[in-house]
Amino acid sequence: MPTDTKRVRGPEVSQSPLLFVSKPATALPSHGPRTDGRPRDQVDVRPVFVRCGLVSQAKGSAYIEAGNTKLMSCVYGPRETERKDETDMKCGRLTTDMRFAPFSCPERGSWIQGSQDKDLSLMLHESLQPAVCLHKYPRSQIEVNVMVLENSGSVLAHAVTCASLALADAGIEMYDLVLGCAVRQDGSSYVVDPTYKEENSCSSASSENQGGLTVAFLPSLNQISGLQSDGEMTEETLTAGVRTCIEGCYKIYPVIQQALAKAVRRAAPPPSES
Amino acid sequence: MATVQVSEAEKVYILHGIRDDLRVDGRGCEDYRHTEIETDVVSNTDGSAKVTLGHTAVLVGIKADLGKPKPMLPKEGYLEFFVDCSANATPEFEGRGGEELGTELSNTLYKVFNNKHSVDLKSLCISPGEHCWVLYVDVLLLQCDGNLYDAISIAIKAALFSTKIPKVHISADEEGAKEIELSDDPYDCMRLNVENVPCIVTLCKVGHRHVVDATLQEKACSVASLIISVTQKGTVTCMRKVGGGSLDPESIFEMTEAGKRVGKALHAPLMDLLQQEERLGTKRQKVGFLG
Amino acid sequence: MAADMRLPVIRKPVSLIVSTDRRDLVVPGDVITSDTGFMRGHGTYVDEEKLTASVAGEVQRVDKLICVRPLKTRFNGEVGDVVVGRITEVQQKRWKVETNSRLDSVLLLSSVNLPGGELRRRSAEDELTMREYLQEGDLISAEVQSVFSDGALSLHTRSLKYGKLGQGVLVQLSPSLIKRQKSHFHNLPCGASIILGNNGFVWLYPTPGQQEEEAGGFYTSHEPVSLSDREVISRLRNCLLALAAHKVLLFDTSVLYCYESSLQHQVKDVLKPEVMEEIVMLTQQKLLEQEG
Repeated sequence: MPTDTKRVRGPEVSQSPLLFVSKPATALPSHGPRTDGRPRDQVDVRPVFVRCGLVSQAKGSAYIEAGNTKLMSCVYGPRETERKDETDMKCGRLTTDMRFAPFSCPERGSWIQGSQDKDLSLMLHESLQPAVCLHKYPRSQIEVNVMVLENSGSVLAHAVTCASLALADAGIEMYDLVLGCAVRQDGSSYVVDPTYKEENSCSSASSENQGGLTVAFLPSLNQISGLQSDGEMTEETLTAGVRTCIEGCYKIYPVIQQALAKAVRRAAPPPSES
Repeated sequence: MATVQVSEAEKVYILHGIRDDLRVDGRGCEDYRHTEIETDVVSNTDGSAKVTLGHTAVLVGIKADLGKPKPMLPKEGYLEFFVDCSANATPEFEGRGGEELGTELSNTLYKVFNNKHSVDLKSLCISPGEHCWVLYVDVLLLQCDGNLYDAISIAIKAALFSTKIPKVHISADEEGAKEIELSDDPYDCMRLNVENVPCIVTLCKVGHRHVVDATLQEKACSVASLIISVTQKGTVTCMRKVGGGSLDPESIFEMTEAGKRVGKALHAPLMDLLQQEERLGTKRQKVGFLG
Repeated sequence: MAADMRLPVIRKPVSLIVSTDRRDLVVPGDVITSDTGFMRGHGTYVDEEKLTASVAGEVQRVDKLICVRPLKTRFNGEVGDVVVGRITEVQQKRWKVETNSRLDSVLLLSSVNLPGGELRRRSAEDELTMREYLQEGDLISAEVQSVFSDGALSLHTRSLKYGKLGQGVLVQLSPSLIKRQKSHFHNLPCGASIILGNNGFVWLYPTPGQQEEEAGGFYTSHEPVSLSDREVISRLRNCLLALAAHKVLLFDTSVLYCYESSLQHQVKDVLKPEVMEEIVMLTQQKLLEQEG
C-alpha cells in the first residue's frame, strides 16, 4: 500500500465513530415509500441540477447534483499525446480519471486513488469511449477528470452523465450524449437512482435478488455503452433492470439537453445585425 | 492485454465464419476450447488449481491467513483477490505493463464474489469481531490466448474446491483472554462449499452474433464483449460490458440469455471432474506443469 | 454449447521411428571434437583447441565444416526462400515486415509490382499512396531477395504468385518444421490452397478462381467464402497444428495425409490430444508406406 509522505497522516488505523453507535443501522423498509418520499418500483429519478462551464480554465466542465450526490467534471484537450509510445496514427486517446474526495463518503477516504476509483475510472472510460468520435483526433489525447464531492448514491451513473456533458461543453465531437442511470434491486421491488443508504442497505427480508445495476446509454442511437452489475439477480430481473435504466435515462435526457443548450446560448456571440 | 494484429481480409473471413456458425478452429459459436483442470499443484498453498483453456493457462493459489474481520461485518471472513500478469505470459506485461489488466481483472473478481451466497463467509469467522480467516486468492497468468475471465473463474472455483483450511479451537483462560489453537492433525480441516461459486462467461460480439471463448484473433474483430458470472442455479452475480464499443439493448438481452445458458451448463461437468479427481485420492499421478 | 473439460494426463510423444540414443544432439558446452582439422561453423566456438557447441541442437557436418543447427530457432532466411509476413510499419519507400526472423524484414517500394505494368516508374505519388497498397496488419507472401549484413531480409513480390493475401487463415509454426521443397505453393486436392512459408508462417486460403489476377495482387475480395471451403480450411488448420504438436515435417504430402486421416473426426475434435495422437500416427504410417 503506497503512502503519501508529504501529508500529515492520521493514526494508522482509525474508524468513524458512527460504527460504534449502539443501535445498528436500521434496515430500510423493503416496501412502502422510500425515505426521500419517492415511490418504489417506479422510474423516478431524483431531480437533477446540471450546469456547464464552472471551471473556466478547463476546455469544458460540468457540475451535476442529484439529491445529495454532487460531482464535477473537467475536460482538457485534445492535445498531443504524452505517452509517445502509444501514439495512434488513426485514433485519439481518451483518458479518464475518477476520484472521490476524501470527505465524500461517510468514512474518510484516502487521497491516493484506490482500486475502487480505478475501477470506476475504467467503467467511465468504457462508457464514454463509444460516444466520442476519437478518429477525428488522431495522435492526440482527451482527458476527462471527475471529482466526486459528495457521494449519496448512484455515483457512477451521474459521473457518466456529467462527463459526457463536460465533453460536449468542451466542443469534442461526439455521436451522442451518454446518460447514466442506476437501479437497486431489493427482493421483488426495485428502486431507481438509489441513495447511498439504499445502495448499502442489506435488507434481511430476502437474500435472493439483491443487487445493483448501472447502465450508460446513448439515447438517440439507442445503444448501451456501459453496463455493470453486482449482487445476485436472476436473468429476468437483470433484463427488466436494464429496461428500467434506459427509461430512467430518457427521463433526464431533456434536462441535460436544456442545460447544454443554455451553455451554448451563453457562449454564442450575439447574432450580427445584418 | 496481449494483442494480435489482424488484417482486414482476415477479419472479413473470421466475421463471415462466425455468421455461418463455423469458427476458424472448427468450433461453433457456443463451444469452448479443450480445457484441462488440475488441482493441488502447489504444495505451499491451502488450495490451488491450474487451468488450461486452449493456450491460455492460469494458476490460482489460495492461502488462508488469520485476520481481523472488517468492522462493518464482524461475523464474516473475507476474500482478497490479486491478479498478477507476469511477463512470462507476454512481453507486454513486463514492468508495469500488466498492472492495468491486473487491476481490472481483480476488481471484477471482487464484484463477482460480492454477494452472500458465492462463498459462505460466515463459516470463515473464528470469533466475531476478533478473528477470521482471510482467503488470499492469487491468480497468476501463465499464458494468454484470449478468454482470461472464464479461465480464471474456473480455476478459482477449482482452487476453492481443493482448499483445506485447518480447524481451530478457541479456548479462554480464567482472565477471559482467548487463545487460538490450531489442530495438529493435518487431516482435520474444513472444506468450503463451492456449490454457489459462479463461473464467468465472456461473450464477444462479433458482427451480428456473439461467441464464447474467443481467441485473440476473434477478440481483435470484436468491439465489445459482455462478461456474465453465473451460478449453478442460473442467477447472475455480476455483469459488465468491456471493450470500447457499445451494444444494442436487444443484443444485450440476447447475450444475457445465452450467457446464462452457457454458464449454467459449465458447472455440472466442472463439479463432476473435481469430484472425479478427488476420488482418485492422493495417489493420483500429478501432471503439474509438464502436461 | 460444448465444453470439453478433463484432467490432464501425461502424454508421450508418438513416433514410429524409435530414437532413444541420438549422438548428434548437443547442448551448449558439449565438446564436439578435439580434432583440429575441422572448421568452425554456426553454433560452435573453439575453446582450448576443442570445438564446442554454443547452442542446443543437431550437429551437421559438411566436409570439414561443423555446424550446430538449433532445433528451436527464429527464421534464418536465405535468398529464394518463400515467406509469409505481416506488415508492421509503413515507412518512406519501404514497408517493414514481420517474418518471424530476428529482425524485421524490408519490402522496398521498388521491389513490388504496382498496378499498371511491371516496368512502371515509381513516382512520388506512389510513395504517398503506399498505405493504400499495403497497410499495417496486412499479410503478404514474398520471396527473399537478399540478406543484409546485419541479417535482416530484403523481400520482393515481383511475381504474380506473390503479393497481398486475401481471406484465409494464418498458422504460425516453427520454421524448422517446414520442409524445403521446389514449390511452397500448393493447390491441395481437398479443395483449398496452402502457402508453406519457409519462415514457419503457413497461409491457408480457398483455391482462387482464374479471374482475379489483375490489379497486381493488391485487390482482395471480401465476398463470403462458402461454408464447405471454410470447413476444409479449418480442418487443414487443425491438422497443421496437430502435426506441429508432434513435430512432423510439413510438406504437401504430410498435410494431405493428415487431412485424410482426420476425416473421420469432426473438425473441432481434431485438436483434442487423443485425436491428435491418432491422426498423427496414421499420417506417419502412411508416409512410411509411401517411402518404402
